[in-house]
Amino acid sequence: MDISKFLPEECLAHIISLTSPQDACRSALVSHNFQSAADSDAVWKRFLPSNYLEIISSTTASSYSQLTSLSKKELYFHLCNNPILINNGMMSFALEKQNGKTCYMIGARGLSIMWGHTPDYWNWKSLPDQSRFSEVAVLRVVWWLDIKWRIEAKNLSPKTTYAAYLVFKFPIFRHGFDMRPVKLGVHLEGSEVGVTRSVLLDPPANMHRWPLEREDGWMEIEMGEFYNDKEGDGNIVCSVSEADSHNPKHGIIIEGIELRPKDGK
Amino acid sequence: MASSESTTTSTTTKVLRLKSSDNEIFGVEEKAALQSETIKSLAEDGYSEDVIPLFNVEKKTLAKIVEWLNKHASGSSKEELKRWDADFVDVDKDVLYDLLLASNYLNIEVLLHQLAQKVADMIKGKKPEEIRQLFGIKNDFTPEEEAEIRRENAWAFE
Repeated sequence: MDISKFLPEECLAHIISLTSPQDACRSALVSHNFQSAADSDAVWKRFLPSNYLEIISSTTASSYSQLTSLSKKELYFHLCNNPILINNGMMSFALEKQNGKTCYMIGARGLSIMWGHTPDYWNWKSLPDQSRFSEVAVLRVVWWLDIKWRIEAKNLSPKTTYAAYLVFKFPIFRHGFDMRPVKLGVHLEGSEVGVTRSVLLDPPANMHRWPLEREDGWMEIEMGEFYNDKEGDGNIVCSVSEADSHNPKHGIIIEGIELRPKDGK
Repeated sequence: MASSESTTTSTTTKVLRLKSSDNEIFGVEEKAALQSETIKSLAEDGYSEDVIPLFNVEKKTLAKIVEWLNKHASGSSKEELKRWDADFVDVDKDVLYDLLLASNYLNIEVLLHQLAQKVADMIKGKKPEEIRQLFGIKNDFTPEEEAEIRRENAWAFE
């Protein structure tokens, strides 16, 4: 018996919505009946985050009207392939293709950077060809490096292990990041500061290179991970610091900090 | 019907009589039977004093459905229900389809969801050819259409 001939489309769509985005795409190739259920808004609405409308409503008006004119399946893949800018361009938002989980990157302007507003220490530069954000932070010189980002846990997908990544690059002239490690950490605000890791952001060429090159041309390094247990309360704090050595540091360009689900979790 | 108000709310131990498409009659306590939205609206339409005809459900399927309705109205613990439900949906494909069609027709949301989950688990990770084989579905695409859909969903076939 051909199940797809007897079941109403909404019932077939219900079944497909309980699989995964990849299974739904494969189902489209089964038959015409399957295809029409597998491409339906009813299926893809379930793969989008439940608060997707609220999230995309904080993008620009023109981008919002473009996004809402798409079918839910088109919207899903658009958000996977093209991070959109939200919150006045301070943050970017995207989805993981495999599971529709949320990924955020906060631009440097959205971070709290100690002395970030003092031009003797930090400069703000526009790199339209390289950055998704309107400005990046360029370090002139500091002795104390201190950068923090606070994000509400409720913005993240529930029951998911996230990792935070510092996204940065170095120009030819830089100083202080090849000898002195910086401390990177991620923790739930109010709880004990968990594990921090000490890493050289600019290790000498003969050392194992921790920072990895990204597809967008920037470097990234993992700052730490945490499990977001359910639609949680509280804030996640990501931090970068080096205040022990009293050595001057110079040159790093900060794009932002990204939070995305850790592979397969 | 205005007069139906009193008949559906009067007693809690009332038994409704459900008739399958092949004329078998099942007596089911009202509380259990009303988990079906379809039966509920038929009862509200004044069928409750009489036999409620279910033209789309055969007796072998209706017997299973009645078993489910009774179990879910019996006040079993959550854990016990979970085990019981897992056994309940562990049936041959043909029985599964009949239950799916019947629970869709009878509009029993919880059961429909359980059955849909079972079928979804059967689909997960399978190639289109395997899904066709599993459900006896004929490929009704032309080779050109098939190539086009493969191209649009290339990511899923990597």
